[in-house]
Amino acid sequence: MEFFRNPNIDFLGKRHLFKYVSFALMAIGILGVAILGIPFGIDFTGGTEIALRFSKPLDISQVRAVVAQTEFARSEIKTYGAPNQFLIRVQQTKGAGEIAAKLKEAFQKQFPDLTVTVLKADVIGPKVGKELRTDALIALILAVLAILLYVSLRFEFAFALGAVLALVHDIIIAFTWAVIAGQLGIISMEVNQSTIAAVLTVLGFSINDTVVIFDRIRENREIHRGLPLVELMNMSINQTLSRTVNTSLTTFLVLLVLTLFGGAVLQGFAFIMLLGIVVGTYSSIYVASALTIWYIERRKGKKKVVAATAT
Amino acid sequence: MRKVGFGTYVVIIFPIIAAIWLLYPTYRAWELEKEKEQLAQDSAALAQFEKEYGETLRELKLRRLKLGLDLRGGMYITLEVDVLRLLEESAQRDAIDEVFQEVMRKTRQEAERSDEPVLDIFLRYFDQIARPKGRTLFSYFEFGDVRDLTEEDIIDRLEQNIEDAVDQAMEIIRQRIDKYGVSEPSIQKQGGRRIVLELPGVTNEKEVRQLLQTTARLQFHLLRQNVEIVQAFAQVDELLRQEQAAREPADTSSIEKTVTAQNPIDTTGQQGDTAKADTTVQSDTTNPYAGLSDEEAREAYRRDHPFTSLFVTYYIDRENNRYVPIDYVRKNFPEGEYYFEILESNIPQFEAILQRPDVMRIIGTDYMIALAAKPRAETEGSPQRVYPFYVLKAEPELTGEVIVDARATFDPTTNSPIVLMTMNADGAERWARITGANVGKRIAIVLDGRVYSAPVVQTRITGGRSQITGLSSIQEARLLEIVLKAGALKAPVKIIEERVVGPSLGEDSIRRGLTASLIALALVVLFMVVYYSFAGIIADLTLFLNLLLILAMLAAFGGTLTLPGIAGLILTIGMAVDANILIYERAREELYKGRTIRAAIDEGFRKALSAILDSNITTFISGLILFYFGSGPIQGFAVTLMIGIVMTLFTVLVVGRSIFQILLARGVQTINLGQPKVAAAK
Repeated sequence: MEFFRNPNIDFLGKRHLFKYVSFALMAIGILGVAILGIPFGIDFTGGTEIALRFSKPLDISQVRAVVAQTEFARSEIKTYGAPNQFLIRVQQTKGAGEIAAKLKEAFQKQFPDLTVTVLKADVIGPKVGKELRTDALIALILAVLAILLYVSLRFEFAFALGAVLALVHDIIIAFTWAVIAGQLGIISMEVNQSTIAAVLTVLGFSINDTVVIFDRIRENREIHRGLPLVELMNMSINQTLSRTVNTSLTTFLVLLVLTLFGGAVLQGFAFIMLLGIVVGTYSSIYVASALTIWYIERRKGKKKVVAATAT
Repeated sequence: MRKVGFGTYVVIIFPIIAAIWLLYPTYRAWELEKEKEQLAQDSAALAQFEKEYGETLRELKLRRLKLGLDLRGGMYITLEVDVLRLLEESAQRDAIDEVFQEVMRKTRQEAERSDEPVLDIFLRYFDQIARPKGRTLFSYFEFGDVRDLTEEDIIDRLEQNIEDAVDQAMEIIRQRIDKYGVSEPSIQKQGGRRIVLELPGVTNEKEVRQLLQTTARLQFHLLRQNVEIVQAFAQVDELLRQEQAAREPADTSSIEKTVTAQNPIDTTGQQGDTAKADTTVQSDTTNPYAGLSDEEAREAYRRDHPFTSLFVTYYIDRENNRYVPIDYVRKNFPEGEYYFEILESNIPQFEAILQRPDVMRIIGTDYMIALAAKPRAETEGSPQRVYPFYVLKAEPELTGEVIVDARATFDPTTNSPIVLMTMNADGAERWARITGANVGKRIAIVLDGRVYSAPVVQTRITGGRSQITGLSSIQEARLLEIVLKAGALKAPVKIIEERVVGPSLGEDSIRRGLTASLIALALVVLFMVVYYSFAGIIADLTLFLNLLLILAMLAAFGGTLTLPGIAGLILTIGMAVDANILIYERAREELYKGRTIRAAIDEGFRKALSAILDSNITTFISGLILFYFGSGPIQGFAVTLMIGIVMTLFTVLVVGRSIFQILLARGVQTINLGQPKVAAAK
């Protein structure tokens, strides 16, 4: 089987056009998040969260009514992955298990024929939440910097810059768009420590994809000396196209299955990665490569200007 | 034709064997647990199962792949030393005044919001508020033994106290959790002042919370391991025997079974050198079990002594300086001191008997029985650990509040580890009286009902400064130091994070996660075969081996599989498939250039190498950073990812390559890379 035979697509010819696409995607994402807000899980905010499962689906208003009669009246309630599962975010911060037991009892009393199961009960101190958030952010930034360093060593700075900016681009888009999908109720999504793991996976996919193309460029540069950079890159992207499509396709399939069948816990997590693989593939070409060209040309231009003024 | 060496086969066969060998315990433990679950209704069969497989199962559990709490349910708790309370505890009680309380109040307010260490906040407010009023740290803190302390010393000691509090809390919690009976608990120190507890399967948050938050009491008790208690033990035997006899005619077989299931101590095997029973200690030698075989005699003895056969009793023969094992067949026990020890597996039953009201009446309220905190050192690593237990005077001689300080150090003359203990004036006075009255006797140091040490009083100790010697290692000394400090300082810890994952959510995540992952894997496997034909099958084989090896490595290094870990696995599958795709695409390119299949595959591997290495190394580096700077779940992700990358490189580049080499060496002329037929003709 073969999808492509010696493809010769001028990917980079339209790179200026895709600049706008990238900016638009990022802008929509950031704007959306700014308007809708980030649904931080209690990992990062601190607080108390109880997840309950009922043997039959309940209406969220029924759940609200029961909770309103308890001492936890000021709780936030939302569905959790399935219509018979609810997440109740309680104000009280002492004794997760006890709160869960009280809530369970309240429901049992109201609906005697329902079985109520406590899925989880978490209490996280506000300080811990803040710390976890800081830790995660530091780890993420350091990881990006380390990649910048390694790619600069293995290739050259222009490539590393392109690769890392593509990374940042992918992380922003995957994260913000997933958050938007979550806020619009398309998937169940909450930003917690697992989300960070998902974002990190996006980082892994993205860099992998870019490095493969760059590796080909490095190789072709030795073989076809003197070929203009844009052509060199186009050639390399075309040569690796089969691989890019196949890898992305297989990974996409894996993540699609996880998003669809992974359940409440896995869904948000898989969805970020799903977005990541799509954007990651696109950005290897239109962000990483395009930015590298831009940077090298700009530097050349400057040199020319410097040379001109010198004479 | 290129020859393929023996080594080429080894690199394929060896990892397969290694993976199976490392994962077998996981499989076997799962199988045994399933079996055990089926027996849950039938207590006799369960006891039989426990006898037969209990030990094996415990051992297997240590070597199996562990699932994170998010996958199997349980409690996750983070405790932090409450530095504020610790400062309060460390201050001299009678020195605390409004100025100090004002400083504490300000510190408390700020500590709630700030990330700054609480001690720093405290010192800042102390400088601001207390110093202008003429107070120094000396006004509030006093650390017994050193006369010429500077303020820095006091700060050092406070910091030391914070660290000690963590160790102390860990020790106490470990003992309590042990007693509570959680299987595979994990108790870890995180940073300088936190403890992370993972209690799989536990959902009764209320009980655990109580367990963690009641303070432990340190007490000194006199040992009373005398002939009276041995006689009382004999009476307990009698009581249980009569009870059994009353039941016996009704159902002999079930009793037989429960007795054998108790797995009593084999007296003869335990202490090699002292095992030969010395009959001179017990004079009347009529043997009620004469004529029975050894096995039968032991069985009959157990039946007649349902309580005392749970442990071993030794008479301490001071004259000849040896421990003589004692049996309870005869009633005339010699006067003097005794020593007891018990197999770990018998402890629950032993404690259950001791808690019976009728048994408690026999033992009497003057006596208290306490287990040693640690097993006998020689048995520490073995599955059959042996714990000494102590019979103590129930009324404590002294409680721990009088202790001002304790320090583990080395004796300058003998260079052996010792612990120095300092008491306050009140304690010192009482201590002098107690030690004076009990020279030559032993006093047990009991924390939370467990005996940590039972030193012999050498002489009357005046001045409140004691030295505990005869410790086997500095670790033991350090533990004792921590325990003694519990008297002065109540290891204030607070719960700052608490997660309960219900077992159903855990099951749900596993089932869903597993099904989804399997479907996904099947799709990938299928794609590879469809697109790359025969080569795709080889890629799939290496992918399976890869997954097996990752799980095996996780099991071998005691790692845990968590949800983020599964994300790491998915990324690994992606990267592994990608590596194969890179190689095959390159090989196809070479085929189109008209090369032979052998050359094409060689070139494919060679040219794809740099791309594969670069992409994997970059990902590995980010994994490394996440491991060092991330916490909890992020670390779990990083570990799986890093193992995954190493295994991917190995399976794809070494195993995969070897398979191709073997095939080609065996004279295979064409390997189908799945490229369309036209290509070959070109």
